[in-house]
Amino acid sequence: MTTALTSPSTYFEDFAAGQKMRHARSTTIDEVESQLLTKLVLNTADGHFDEHKMKASPFGQRLVFGLVTGSTVIGLATQDTAENALAELGLDRMRFRAPVFLGDSLTAYTEVLETRDADRDDAGVVRFKHWGTKQDGTIVFEGEREVLIKRRSHWGS
Amino acid sequence: MPDPDFSTFPLRKKGNRYQDFEEGRTFEHHWGRTLSEADNALFATATMRFTPLYFNAEYARAHGHGSVVIDPLLVLCTVVGMSVEDLSEGGGPFLGVNDVKFHQPVYPGDTITGRSRVVGRRESGSRPHFGIVTWETEARNQHGNVVLTYQRTNLVAKRREPTR
Repeated sequence: MTTALTSPSTYFEDFAAGQKMRHARSTTIDEVESQLLTKLVLNTADGHFDEHKMKASPFGQRLVFGLVTGSTVIGLATQDTAENALAELGLDRMRFRAPVFLGDSLTAYTEVLETRDADRDDAGVVRFKHWGTKQDGTIVFEGEREVLIKRRSHWGS
Repeated sequence: MPDPDFSTFPLRKKGNRYQDFEEGRTFEHHWGRTLSEADNALFATATMRFTPLYFNAEYARAHGHGSVVIDPLLVLCTVVGMSVEDLSEGGGPFLGVNDVKFHQPVYPGDTITGRSRVVGRRESGSRPHFGIVTWETEARNQHGNVVLTYQRTNLVAKRREPTR
């Protein structure tokens, strides 16, 4: 059975508008997350991977690709928000509010904006707002996300 | 033979500037990318995307898929990545990404290509050497099906016209 593989507390019924979460783990962005993922996805902007060029820029160092930041923040929120997802439907209003540098640590926060029925009766749609902060508390990322999540009534053991 | 004088080697310039983004102009982005199971496992684990659909094939099969599902954030990152040389390598940060829709799942072995159209541009009020450009991007798989659409807005550096 697949029900043993995911938490019993992340089904559609477990989410309610207004619910807030501070996610348990933070992560430092190092070369693997920044340089490797940036190149993995064919991003050619060398401001993300040429330290000596960026030393001469107003930033003084390499910048982390905004979507590596966004993916990491959403990643930190994923176990609590999409472990029992059937599909991720979309994202919206993604904003990259402050630069992220190698060595920064990211933390994720989430608020449930809305829950609603889906066009199938074994799942529902949850709209989340996510924020990412770095170690000094600066908000570096925010964005909304919709996930199609299994209903316990159909999928729970 | 002496080493050449590298200062005489012409630079192979990359990227576009604000002046290149006439409204309605379309860019077919370079390369395309076949997304493999290895790409997916690396991306989904490095970003802690703890949804078993993305890294447990048996679980994915029990939910109606033929294999693991490619993490949609990897699809988004790859399409944006392939668009960078055309749209944003000329300099200027993201201002926002809106209305991202994942239209259908992508599976290991699928090949994704992207194209973008300029849907708006204006001068920056506060930064005279920059403008603000919005593009609509869509990505398709090898069957021609749309898998992803989104709108992206960036600050874009202007080409400095030579002063006489």
